[in-house]
Amino acid sequence: MDMKICFKLNGKDVSVTTDPLRRLIDVLREDFGCKGVKEGCSEGECGACSIILNGKMVTRCIIPVGAADGQEIMTIEGVSATEKGQTIVQAFADGGAVQCGFCIPGMVIAAYCLLNGNPDPTEDEIRLGISGNICRCTGYDLIVESIRLAAKRGGDIWKK
Amino acid sequence: MEEVKCYIPKTLKEALEIKAAHDVIPLAGGSDLMVAHKKTIGLVPEFEKPVMIIRNLSELKGISVNDKGECVIGAGCTAAEIAADERCPWHLRQAASRMGAIGLRNSATVAGNIANASPKGDTPGPLYLLDARVRIASLRGEREEKVSDFIVKFREIDLKQDELITQIIVPLSEDDFDYIFWHKVGTRKANAISKITVSQAIRFADDGKTVADYRLSATATGAMTNRSRNVENLLIGKEICDKTIEDVVNGFDAVISPRAMPEFRREATRRMIRRFLSEAARRPQNKVIDTYDDYHVTGQPEPRECRHKKGACHG
Amino acid sequence: MVAGDISKAVRRVDAVSKSEGKTRYVSDYDFADCLWGRLVRSSIPRGIIRAIHLPEMPEGYRFITYKDIPEGGHNWLHMIATDWKCFAENDVRYVGETIGIMVGPDKATVEDLRQKVVIDYEEQVPAVTIDEGLACKGGAFVNGNNIHCSLKLDVGNVDEAFAKADKIVTETIETGFQEHIYLETNGACCIPEGDHFVVYASAQCPFYISRSISPLLNVTPDKVIVRQITTGGAFGGKEHFPDVVCGPLLVAANVMKKGVKMFFDREEDIENSVKRHPSKVVFKTGLDKDGNITAMESTVCYNVGGYLSSSFVVLQRGCFHVTGCYLFPNMRTTGYGVATNTFPSCAFRGFGAPQTLFAVETHLCHIAEMQGIDPLEYKKRYFIKQGDTTSTNGKIVERVMIPEMLEQVMKASDYERKSREYKWGSGKGIGISFYNHGGAFTGNGEQAIIKARTKLHKFADGRVEILCSQTEMGQGFHTILPKIAAHVLEIPIEKVIFEDPDTSRVPDSGPTAASRSTMIVGELVERAARLMKPRYAKEEDFTVETCYEHPEGYPWDQNTFQGYAYLGYGWGVCAVEVEVDPCTAEITTKGIWSSHDAGHLIDERIVHGQVNGGVLQGLGWGSFEVMENRDGHFRQTSMSDYIVPTSMDYPKQGVYFVENPYEWGPFGAKGMGELVFNGSAAAYIDAVSRAIGKRISRIPLPTEEVMGYMLHGTDIKAGIEEVR
Repeated sequence: MDMKICFKLNGKDVSVTTDPLRRLIDVLREDFGCKGVKEGCSEGECGACSIILNGKMVTRCIIPVGAADGQEIMTIEGVSATEKGQTIVQAFADGGAVQCGFCIPGMVIAAYCLLNGNPDPTEDEIRLGISGNICRCTGYDLIVESIRLAAKRGGDIWKK
Repeated sequence: MEEVKCYIPKTLKEALEIKAAHDVIPLAGGSDLMVAHKKTIGLVPEFEKPVMIIRNLSELKGISVNDKGECVIGAGCTAAEIAADERCPWHLRQAASRMGAIGLRNSATVAGNIANASPKGDTPGPLYLLDARVRIASLRGEREEKVSDFIVKFREIDLKQDELITQIIVPLSEDDFDYIFWHKVGTRKANAISKITVSQAIRFADDGKTVADYRLSATATGAMTNRSRNVENLLIGKEICDKTIEDVVNGFDAVISPRAMPEFRREATRRMIRRFLSEAARRPQNKVIDTYDDYHVTGQPEPRECRHKKGACHG
Repeated sequence: MVAGDISKAVRRVDAVSKSEGKTRYVSDYDFADCLWGRLVRSSIPRGIIRAIHLPEMPEGYRFITYKDIPEGGHNWLHMIATDWKCFAENDVRYVGETIGIMVGPDKATVEDLRQKVVIDYEEQVPAVTIDEGLACKGGAFVNGNNIHCSLKLDVGNVDEAFAKADKIVTETIETGFQEHIYLETNGACCIPEGDHFVVYASAQCPFYISRSISPLLNVTPDKVIVRQITTGGAFGGKEHFPDVVCGPLLVAANVMKKGVKMFFDREEDIENSVKRHPSKVVFKTGLDKDGNITAMESTVCYNVGGYLSSSFVVLQRGCFHVTGCYLFPNMRTTGYGVATNTFPSCAFRGFGAPQTLFAVETHLCHIAEMQGIDPLEYKKRYFIKQGDTTSTNGKIVERVMIPEMLEQVMKASDYERKSREYKWGSGKGIGISFYNHGGAFTGNGEQAIIKARTKLHKFADGRVEILCSQTEMGQGFHTILPKIAAHVLEIPIEKVIFEDPDTSRVPDSGPTAASRSTMIVGELVERAARLMKPRYAKEEDFTVETCYEHPEGYPWDQNTFQGYAYLGYGWGVCAVEVEVDPCTAEITTKGIWSSHDAGHLIDERIVHGQVNGGVLQGLGWGSFEVMENRDGHFRQTSMSDYIVPTSMDYPKQGVYFVENPYEWGPFGAKGMGELVFNGSAAAYIDAVSRAIGKRISRIPLPTEEVMGYMLHGTDIKAGIEEVR
């Protein structure tokens, strides 16, 4: 039983006619080609599939696409195209945050949401901000430092 | 296979009409239901009944304080919204701030957490402790029921087919107590399922010694959240001493029935009760008592400043 | 231009693309026109397959089993040994054993059909634990005694030393399963193209896959071309295991004459993939009247699971590392690989070494503590040095810088004061561990077995391409190797091309495993670049090739396991400080400090990241990563049940290095990817043990177990059981 679901994806109005119970992750990956954010656990546990829904980070593997009707969605594809997103991406590259990379798009989303709400976070606040994103490679230290680097480099952009 | 239907009502009224007409599963955050019904990557989750998505119903949003001073939380409020809202009682904010992962807290709702009726759920402990009620609506009208009655047993709630939870009302808060305690032993320090969580609160009478009120609840200690007014009454009207502490400890030990890791859960519960009561008896400066003095978890909400000074508030 | 010290960090070449979400992993490809595959697996740990009942199969769908292996093909997967079958035939040995693969065009239909396959079993009694395996519970199913493999090592004269010892103490140290939790689950696609097949896989070792699965169709390995796709973490879990994924795909693709793709979801991956070997090490240690060790005998048992596959090599490495960073006058080690009805255990960062290193570190702590001595002071008596004899009667070739590393860690952690002030049982504790890891394949294996080759090609435009079979799985090799070449050639790193390997294009430079890539393949590329350099400016389009050559004068006998097992070890020292919650037994880690000797570092930030990740993974293994197997079924099947560390579980690490260039490594570098895992669990357990004042002899150690030790544990100072 398909329905027409309309939402805003990375700033553009889009619609899809599909089963409203399909997982948002499957719709974004399969119907909209947003392959940037990954499926790690299928239960909202690892953060690899994080997106921004109405300004807040959510794990899209547990959201049916029907719940996105009329909402605003940003994926890594949208975030990384912004000045803020690029600030994080470049800081991650310079700070050694990236290893296998599978968790990293979700980490970028987490960092983006964190810095938008808290432009100058402490180490503890950063650790809390990414605590829903599991990384098995890095031990987190260089990710934390890279986010601090992004905060410093971004300066006032985080207050916008 | 029968075709699964899905409803996406735009208003609460529409939702109640759908509920009256069909046997549907309400789905808000999806953190429990979507996982429980998942198939594999790329396949549509399979539900045994039609689903009604109520994630975006505006009538179910919002947190306010009613004219009785009770905190009223919309059923669709997420754990993150509760954790960040100072109008919500401290115990509940603690629980909400440690529920699952951050992304999940932006989806998971308090009503869903109650309706899931899992003994490991994070919010029922504080809700039991603070005599919280659920407000339930149907086309037939509205009713209220204490959360502790609403959760009937393991995975079962007192909700008729045509009913929907619309609000959670919490009559008490940390303002009503002198000392408060909430401690979750998770599987790890963040993003964790509860191994054992204990909530406590105490108020002393004007003499500063006699216990005027004491409350204690625990989750993951049995098939349901545990609280017993009978056990609490062992302390109320009395002073804290080794004997009354042990009365509570032993009384509560008889109430809980942990199946997995029983020794750990019992022992940790006993120790947390002893710790809280013996510390409270010392009348420390800080309103919040934790398992030991240096305990520190980043990002935990602080108790708010007292809105209205009541008797013996030593916060 | 890459100039100055090669250790100076550069940007990883893959960092921006991965951060922007542009990097494609195998499940990000559509593989349009390919069929979907889903495995049907054994749901029981041990039994006979009586019958397989299939649902009504729509056209275009098919259930593929061992019967679909063409004539002449072999139903085995070559993973060092060849006993692990691609498809179960008559019997099943573990839950999750592949019985068949359901294939067809629509994924939902394939899944639906798969769910409807009914298998009739005659169930048998499984042996699940090491003890049950050794006791042949349910009857032996391997070699008449359930011993898949065994070995014995002898140094000095243990019997004579025992006869003279003042006393002999014995204790058992145990470790559990560990699941890799690479963030990207397993996935692959196999497509027939003309007279050959192309496999796309998330994998560590593309040539392993070709060699392992080509016998299924009785074709030469070159007919199964493997193209590795960017791999989202592996840690050993994608060393041999992709063979288990790709084998059925190859057989199915051959039958269907179409490509077949398969991607595991997390639950499927956790339940049905290899794990780290659980271990049980029994020590018998002779002490003189002053409490000094005169002899150590260890019996090392690893839970191998249903099939041997690569486990004998894992057991060997475990046994070679059982004496840790120490020299004991007399040593005897006996190793057994025990057959059980669990999913076959396989490679996991450390490859058998972490288990025995944890065991010996913990055992030494206990011997020290029963004498009331600080474990560090006791361990110091036995530190091994250059020229000392190893557990295989070889010598330590290189300079051992443990004293220098210890000094760094002691200073950073304030060990001396904390060890003095935190009384045993006070709720606070600091622990310290010492560990090493032999780099690359054991003995002369690099020359005798691997025979690694690399090529370096110069294009007319000045770009240089590295051709080898090494994979990028997060460890940074796509940056390390070009950096080495660029540094030698004195060209910008951007001019060096290094793509994901395709077995039809690149020479076999061996697996990306065993901490060998930088040490061995890095050296081959360094050498190739040095050969290229004088010709670089003059010639336009040419290739140079290098082959591995083992240094002479370091003999090794693979039959007797005698000689120089490893020419270069990585070395490590790790200190961990903890605090215990007296109410709940929760452990809070207050500090982590480590120093490592990885030779001369190729990129200090990449190595720093490896240290951080390896240390944390080791802490997870030692603390809350609980993977139980009950009646043959893994009990933890999701990432909420099987939990790995988050950013909040452990504090920022203090990371230190010593400079100790390795004679045969590129720019003096040694292997370190596994080393950094090997010691943190022992330091953590030492710290917790001191904090609660109880002796701890098994990991993992979730909170409830800490409470158990607090309530009933043996006092840390109590004597260890005496044999005599």
